[in-house]
Amino acid sequence: MMASTEEEKTGLQEEAITINGSPMAVRKMQTFEHIGSLAAVAQSYGPRSVKSRILRSIYIVLIKAKINVLLPFGPLAVILHYLTGKHGWVFFFSLIGITPMAERLGYATEQLACYTGSTVGGLLNATFGNATEMIISIYALKNGMIRVVQQSLLGSILSNMLLVLGCAFFAGGLTHPHKDQDFNKASAVVNSGLLLMAVMGLLFPAVLHFTHSEVHYGKSEVTLSRFSSCVMLLAYASYLFFQLKSHRSLYNPIDSEVDGEQDAKEDNEEEEEPEITQWEAIVWLAVLTIWISILSGYLVDAIQGASESVNMPIAFISVILLPIVGNAAEHASAIMFAMKDKLDITLGVAIGSSTQISMFVIPFCVVIGWMMGKQMDLNFQLFETATLFITVLVVAFMLQEGTANYFKGLMLILCYLIVAASFFVHVDPTSDDN
Amino acid sequence: MANSGIELETNGGSKHWDSDSQPNASIPISTVALPPASNFHCAFQKIAHSVKIVIFTAKINVLLPFGPASIILHYLTNHHGVVFLCSLLGIIPLAERLGYATEQMAAYTGPTVGGLLNATFGNATEMIIAIYALKNGMIRVVQQSLLGSILSNMLLVLGCSFFAGGIVHYDKKEQVFNKGTAVVNSGLLLMAVMGLSFPAVLHFTHSEVRYGKSEVALSRFSSCIMLVAYGSYLFFQLSGRESSQYSRIDSQEGSDSDIQRQSQSQNSAEPEDEEEEPEIGLWESVAWLALLTLWVSILSEYLVNAIQGASESFNLPVAFISVILLPIVGNAAEHASAVMFAMKDKLDITLGVAIGSSTQISMFVIPFCVVVGWMMKKNMDLNFQLFETATLFITVLVVAFMVQDGTANYLKGLMLVLCYLIVAASFFVHVDPSSSDD
Repeated sequence: MMASTEEEKTGLQEEAITINGSPMAVRKMQTFEHIGSLAAVAQSYGPRSVKSRILRSIYIVLIKAKINVLLPFGPLAVILHYLTGKHGWVFFFSLIGITPMAERLGYATEQLACYTGSTVGGLLNATFGNATEMIISIYALKNGMIRVVQQSLLGSILSNMLLVLGCAFFAGGLTHPHKDQDFNKASAVVNSGLLLMAVMGLLFPAVLHFTHSEVHYGKSEVTLSRFSSCVMLLAYASYLFFQLKSHRSLYNPIDSEVDGEQDAKEDNEEEEEPEITQWEAIVWLAVLTIWISILSGYLVDAIQGASESVNMPIAFISVILLPIVGNAAEHASAIMFAMKDKLDITLGVAIGSSTQISMFVIPFCVVIGWMMGKQMDLNFQLFETATLFITVLVVAFMLQEGTANYFKGLMLILCYLIVAASFFVHVDPTSDDN
Repeated sequence: MANSGIELETNGGSKHWDSDSQPNASIPISTVALPPASNFHCAFQKIAHSVKIVIFTAKINVLLPFGPASIILHYLTNHHGVVFLCSLLGIIPLAERLGYATEQMAAYTGPTVGGLLNATFGNATEMIIAIYALKNGMIRVVQQSLLGSILSNMLLVLGCSFFAGGIVHYDKKEQVFNKGTAVVNSGLLLMAVMGLSFPAVLHFTHSEVRYGKSEVALSRFSSCIMLVAYGSYLFFQLSGRESSQYSRIDSQEGSDSDIQRQSQSQNSAEPEDEEEEPEIGLWESVAWLALLTLWVSILSEYLVNAIQGASESFNLPVAFISVILLPIVGNAAEHASAVMFAMKDKLDITLGVAIGSSTQISMFVIPFCVVVGWMMKKNMDLNFQLFETATLFITVLVVAFMVQDGTANYLKGLMLVLCYLIVAASFFVHVDPSSSDD
């Protein structure tokens, strides 16, 4: 049972690894209640139990998941940063090193969500769901690399809509070759409508800039962007209220992270079988966030050097490579759910993540930039703006039908390849980033 | 005249109309034969009664004094800003009363002519303001105010209605409306906007034959085509489609008998109930129509003349005034009625008002202004500048997409209103790339 739970969660763990273990673990497995875990915690006071508890926790979080084979790349990146001047290596190693961290962060968030109930759990997921992108963006903002921030967040939306969705549809279509897969059309349409409106709200400052029609050239876009960001954050707050309180029925079939009383077995098992205690979850959340921040610092510092040494445009690195890191875990889980014919959850992950980025992370970064005194604005440059709008429109239109097959998935992936190739030969019309 | 006298007496005699009361109901015998000396008295009574119904019973008419106030201010002071604001406030009740008089007349003329009336006079205020601005050569103001009217209908009116309806019907989770009609109407709007956008796109890809001259020629040609399209749209709507799903769902017309019956079944006293309960006589409504149009024209002239001065004194860009403030005037009454119908869970009417008004403006008012400009020898064209064209296209596309599923909730309404705020903020910092108007 534990094994199948993990399998639902990440899709990257193999089955049948049970905890060899102490009576505490067994009792915890059998009760699956808060009281049970509290009792387990209460019984573990004492130096030897503390040590074994920590070890067990480390085992569950860090060793059991297969993705953690990538963990050593993190420290390796830090070592390389100080030993050599090879920014390319540092960049790639930290990229690979952050990936398991991001996945474990999602895992810790889910574990914590088990304890806090569905509403706070939903809020947690909403905030920490894109924690990696937020951390990377804040570091880039601190360095003044505003274009990197804009492009990486935009690339995250593009990657969610094209790559994640495409791979999921493709994989699901191949696994179920004889029929089209169905999903809940109504919620898909509502969600994509919201995403479309969010993207529209983000695009007006860029459109204003490109029609060269602002009052104080260069200054009013920033003001307009800041105003729009506050408006979008307000919209996000009401979106959360809408999703978590008033219209939960709309999201039940498609968002497994929020809902707790679903009839789907997997959701129930995840929600009710926390593997680590509440305090452990909080501690891990903090530890992983700190570790991701450290690695992000090296990652962002190495971007410029990597771009020169590997001879790739920074736009390509920001739009294509950086979002892969933040999205890797969601990507894997979306594909896994599609293969299990649970396309609603896939769509929830993909569209929900895109909506969160456009309604929360991007405006939040503008506000953070405002507080830091950086000129971060919503002016995404014409190519990216047009790409984003076209993509969201086409995908929103395509989801209206309510069916999916491998061909749609393949088309989405191929479109993403074309977009990626465009960014490979893209350079900002003015100058490069600093 | 004797007929009207009879109507007046029946009016004055009974305070409440029955549903089947017609202008030719039974009359008190004593009023048939009037001695000549009291004809003047009857006429005066009739006028007083009419004035009472039209002017004094509606609450919005508390704004009426702003009209004369703005004229007085125009001649007394040089404060363009205050003149602008006062005339803005003064036109609002007149626009609403104009709509009321149109409905009253439509009650007498039958559904087809009534529909035509509504279609023509529905946006009379915008048309009058636009024609005055054209006369002054303020072409950008015309373009921006008409475009702002479409934007305001699609984002602000629809958003407020969805939001208000969603909050009032919070327990129902969602309001539904007739998906088919909404899709057809938004498809028409999209096509109309597409037709309007091509001259602008041509200009901005710098690919016309004679730079600056062929856009005007193309615009005039497109406008004639759009007017033909509008003519067939009216024919399509009004000819025998009253009960099908394609019927006009705008409650302010007399052409939809379903809506008449619906609105009659409610016990509300809003103007839309009066489809079959005309409060004033036919000739009175014609007279009021003419009078109100005249009054709106006079005020519009002062309004348009004060725009430039108001822009300087308030330090607002003229674009902001044209796109955001002017359409509020023309749309105020429709706005209020759309929100009210949404709160009563009659979203079909709301959508009809919002999308129908936008379609009318894009298919009729804008091409009409181009043609009027052609006749006045002004170079009015359909070249709306890239930002406005992009904004219009994006907005119509997104809203058309959003009404496709046939449901509405408060979040959709809130998002639309917030998008309108962002658009308004964009116009606040917007200035034409070339120079200002004129």
